[in-house]
Amino acid sequence: MMHDNDETKFDQWLQDAAKTYNAPPRPTPRDEMWARIEAERARRAARPVLALRPWLRWGLAAAALLVLGIGIGRWTAHHQTDAGGGTVAAADTAGNGVVYQVAATQYLSRTETFLTGFRADLRAGRVDTRFNGQARDLLTTTRLLLDSPAADDPRMRALLEELELVLAQISQLEAGRDKRNADLITQDMDQHSVLPKLRSAIPAGPVPLRTQGAT
Amino acid sequence: MDEQDLINRVRAGDGIAERALYDAHVDRVYRLAYRLAGDDALAQDFTQETFIRAFAKLDTFRGDSALSTWLHAITTTVVLNGLRKVKRFHKREADLEAADGVSGGRREAEPDLKARLRQAIDALPHGYRTVFVMHDIEGFTHEEIGVALGVETGTSKAQLSRARAKLRESLADFAGEWVS
Repeated sequence: MMHDNDETKFDQWLQDAAKTYNAPPRPTPRDEMWARIEAERARRAARPVLALRPWLRWGLAAAALLVLGIGIGRWTAHHQTDAGGGTVAAADTAGNGVVYQVAATQYLSRTETFLTGFRADLRAGRVDTRFNGQARDLLTTTRLLLDSPAADDPRMRALLEELELVLAQISQLEAGRDKRNADLITQDMDQHSVLPKLRSAIPAGPVPLRTQGAT
Repeated sequence: MDEQDLINRVRAGDGIAERALYDAHVDRVYRLAYRLAGDDALAQDFTQETFIRAFAKLDTFRGDSALSTWLHAITTTVVLNGLRKVKRFHKREADLEAADGVSGGRREAEPDLKARLRQAIDALPHGYRTVFVMHDIEGFTHEEIGVALGVETGTSKAQLSRARAKLRESLADFAGEWVS
């Protein structure tokens, strides 16, 4: 048990000792960061307006889903004429599922291709800057999917979170200078069986046909 | 130049004023980001994102608090959200290190006080660590911390007190260092 006097001494000692905690090892890299800020602001400004307004993007996505759902509902109703009145409503729900499943499958396929290529290039001794851009693009899609009903499935959510982490790390690699970090990323991927999990999550056949066949 | 003039010029799209505003605040923003992240690449990313957001949202700055306080609020939001994203990665690294026997908890295995202090601070709950770093290391006042973290001043004080208590507990076997 410590006395008040000891606590005061401890607090003083702690404040001094803690000055070394995460102390930046060099002066602020002002110009380096400013250049990146300007480049990133220019990049974001050049993006379509839709990308800058999440409410509009989600609104349009919802409208597109509605149109697609109606289309699929009509298509299903047309092909299942002997079914009862509940068919259209069920097809609307199925339609939403189809959309997200198609998007998720496309994304998983692209990510699998990308990560396989990344690992192969790394083994060949190349850490290329083009990986950063691709990783960032896939990262954006990952985050959109994480916020979508596609992530309602706990297994899919876990996989998406895992991929988000891997892609975020790859997007931060510096060409030619980050061989060790790149190795750590691939070790981490191997240890957590990211690619096998990713591959097993990709349906073997074209998703829309499989799903339609199931309804 | 007066800060309000600088802000007005930035709002008007003056690039030189943007750089001047950045130069005036970047050191403290970067240092805070570094102290919380403990990694240069992350600290740079967080600093970059802080200023991008600040320039984009400068029109919403009403001047109720100092610009620096407003900027530090953005910084802590960016850093804490960013750290949540990489937390799992760090946990894995720690697991790997523990499996390799790199980091031991016992004093015999880790005689370096600085390293033990670092471990103890790292092990604090996020809220405690943030307040401890901002107050005891970076010298922010409880009022500034309250604005930055969106909490009451009393909460900041309570968290600092609990952070210190936890550190006292974690570093009890080094008592001679400060009691003497």
